[in-house]
Amino acid sequence: MTPLNLTTAIFLFFTYTVGLIFVIAVALRIYQYATTPQPIKLPLTPAPLTAGGAFARILGEVVFFKSLFKSNKPTWLFGYLFHIAFFLLIFMHFLRHFIYANPLPWWYDIFVDIGIVCGVVMVLSLFLLLMRRVVVERVKFISLFSDYIILILIMLIGLAGLSLNYVISPAALTVVDNQLDPYMNGLLNFQFTNIPSNPVFLIHYTLVLLLVLYIPFSKVMHFVGIFFSPTRNMVDNPEEERYYRPNAKDLSI
Amino acid sequence: MANPKDKYKIPVLDGKIPIPKIVPGASAYEHMNEAQKVDMEALGFPFKLKDGWKEKAIGVFKEILDNNKAVRDYMDICVRCGACTDKCHFFLGTADPNNMPVQRQELMRKVYRYYFTPSGFFKSLSNSQELTEEVLKDWFTYFYQCSECRRCSLYCPYGIDTAEITMAARQIMDSIGLGQKYATEVIHKVFRTGNNIGIPPLALRNTLDDLEEEIKEESGKDVKIPMDVEGAEVLLVPPSADFFAMPHMESLKGYAKVFYKSGISYTVSSYASEAGNFGMFLGSYKNTKEINKRIWDEARRLKVKRVVIGECGHAWRAAYTYSNTMNGPFDFLDAKYRQPMHICDFTLGLVKDGVIKLDPSANDDKVVTFHDSCNVARGSRMGDFKGGQIVIPRELIKAAANKFVELREGTTKESTYCCGAGGGLLTEEVMNLRLAGAMPRMQTVKEAVDNHGVNFYALICAICKTQFSKIFPLHGFEEEMVGGIHQLVSNAIIM
Ligand code: HEM
Ligand code: SF4
Ligand code: SF4
Ligand code: SF4
Repeated sequence: MTPLNLTTAIFLFFTYTVGLIFVIAVALRIYQYATTPQPIKLPLTPAPLTAGGAFARILGEVVFFKSLFKSNKPTWLFGYLFHIAFFLLIFMHFLRHFIYANPLPWWYDIFVDIGIVCGVVMVLSLFLLLMRRVVVERVKFISLFSDYIILILIMLIGLAGLSLNYVISPAALTVVDNQLDPYMNGLLNFQFTNIPSNPVFLIHYTLVLLLVLYIPFSKVMHFVGIFFSPTRNMVDNPEEERYYRPNAKDLSI
Repeated sequence: MANPKDKYKIPVLDGKIPIPKIVPGASAYEHMNEAQKVDMEALGFPFKLKDGWKEKAIGVFKEILDNNKAVRDYMDICVRCGACTDKCHFFLGTADPNNMPVQRQELMRKVYRYYFTPSGFFKSLSNSQELTEEVLKDWFTYFYQCSECRRCSLYCPYGIDTAEITMAARQIMDSIGLGQKYATEVIHKVFRTGNNIGIPPLALRNTLDDLEEEIKEESGKDVKIPMDVEGAEVLLVPPSADFFAMPHMESLKGYAKVFYKSGISYTVSSYASEAGNFGMFLGSYKNTKEINKRIWDEARRLKVKRVVIGECGHAWRAAYTYSNTMNGPFDFLDAKYRQPMHICDFTLGLVKDGVIKLDPSANDDKVVTFHDSCNVARGSRMGDFKGGQIVIPRELIKAAANKFVELREGTTKESTYCCGAGGGLLTEEVMNLRLAGAMPRMQTVKEAVDNHGVNFYALICAICKTQFSKIFPLHGFEEEMVGGIHQLVSNAIIM
């Protein structure tokens, strides 16, 4: 086993730190949203009359962005493309780790091609979302600095990822791939090996760490908050079943 | 006398509802009058800002965050996607960017960031803001330019409910002594007299006598409107405007005839002579509960079997959604019935069971359209099926009148536009705001009048009725076009 270099040591440190902060901060948020009492019933009606119906309603929002579809088609389209591409990419990054073996399965190239399509779609839709913030007067007016930052950050991650396929040579990419697999394994079972040293890869990796660090403190927490939104997740049955939260203070409704 | 039309800024009606270009500060001048000392103290609030108000306000803010899941969640998760920006009638009417729902929320969210998130650290970059008197002034202006109608929530991908944020902001302002005159005065009246208008029991009895006489003259029948009768089957709680205001009283006559013909004994109460609940407008749990409690205390005292609520939007939301939570359970009432029940649900049931008969040709002089009151459509239900609050009023109208047309698609049912005067805005000092807020709805009314010859605008909300009877004439429509569903029932019922 080769001894670890300094770059690896630094990245290991930051990977674990960021991972820990992410998990703890998100868990705390979930705890907070889950335990804060909701003093009164608040479903936006017409609302489902059963718990199953309310769950389906949330699912419709999460899987199809139903309300957004009703309110603004372009935003829905750009946003939906972005999220689909984003989630497919995350999923494929994990999957890749399990299918990367020697020899490579015959369909590995197709797998990579799908990933590249997702990457392009993601970057393009992010660009359109960004343009929307610049061009549409109302959206420009409400946009904050952080709204641009998050779009640009994810876009850069996408661009760096695509560069791995198009900017560096195929040979260099194979080196990265071959080093990445044991490195990732090492993260999980603490048998550390050196991180791929290709600078394009390191930029991609660093930006991802930044994103993961930023998520719990940003509006991206909507991926948790949407499940706790009382106007969407509550059952419309105040008369049928008494809704009473003794721990709710007699304060604001 | 000056023509009222000169006094107001009346929007032009051409049937279109365009998204305006932003005009910062366009409605910043529209202010509520501040609350009076007696009223604030009666509601348990201090009067005027005192030393330490800022700490107090932040303390209350923290308490709300810790005790209200909706506010807690909605402070964090808005992505500023902008989907809500063109959905608020007040933005469409005023073009003031602070009336875009997300921007209204930001007024509060920037204070939230400053005190409750680490990003408060990067002040200018994160748009966080200390709670200053300047900010408080904006709050008092723009959180009283929201009618808590929830249209924005319908269109938000996360269902972020600006009405909840408005309520929380009003609650914080009230707790440091900054209240709105109209709503606090009205609530104080309820505590003193049992109703928003401040009618004492004797005067109430007198009007009821007058109404009985009127019905007798019109129909020749001895229709009674009993008050404070123990042992009646039903306690009827209408909004107090039904006792005194026009066209509201026409609906009260309708209720009375329905009870008369069905033979179900009923009573109104001089103690719970108000279905409305302005506590909700302030977002105050305590006051909402106190006002709501009067109904159920009275139901107990009068030993009735069921409670029926009259035509009023926010009143129905308060009664339907909060009653059981705040003052239930209602095991002393008859479990066969929904408690409380909406008068439209009640009447339609009787029509369907053949207990009362309606002759729709009695309304053949009318082409009727219906305005879904936002608090009914988006905040409550009638009947035992999803969407009953949309279906039941329409069925009742169709049973009482032959000619019915819908308003423009996309502005009815749960997508309805607010009348522009809910949430405690039904007050003279913000008349221009009310006109601007009613603009989107009035465009669709104009269209219905021009294309379908609509001449009756059916409502089930006391505030809507008052607002539109004031606004219609300013736009050159007859005030008599405005009326309740039970006004149609009153005409059509076969006595
Ligand atoms: C349950 C999972 C999620 C759901 C249902 C969801 C839903 C949404 C919706 C409805 C929007 C508004 C539409 C738009 O502007 O595109 C949005 C925006 C956004 N989401 Fe998500 N999201 C989820 C997870 C995530 C995650 C994990 C990220 C991670 C980076 C993310 C990043 C963003 C960003 C950056 C925006 C703002 C887009 C803009 O600025 O226009 N979302 N999301
Ligand atoms: S629609 Fe919802 S998430 Fe989008 S800007 Fe408005 S409040 Fe925020
Ligand atoms: S609740 Fe109604 S009035 Fe208030 S911001 Fe939303 S749409 Fe506008
Ligand atoms: S008065 Fe009617 S339309 Fe206006 S806010 Fe209330 S329920 Fe909605």
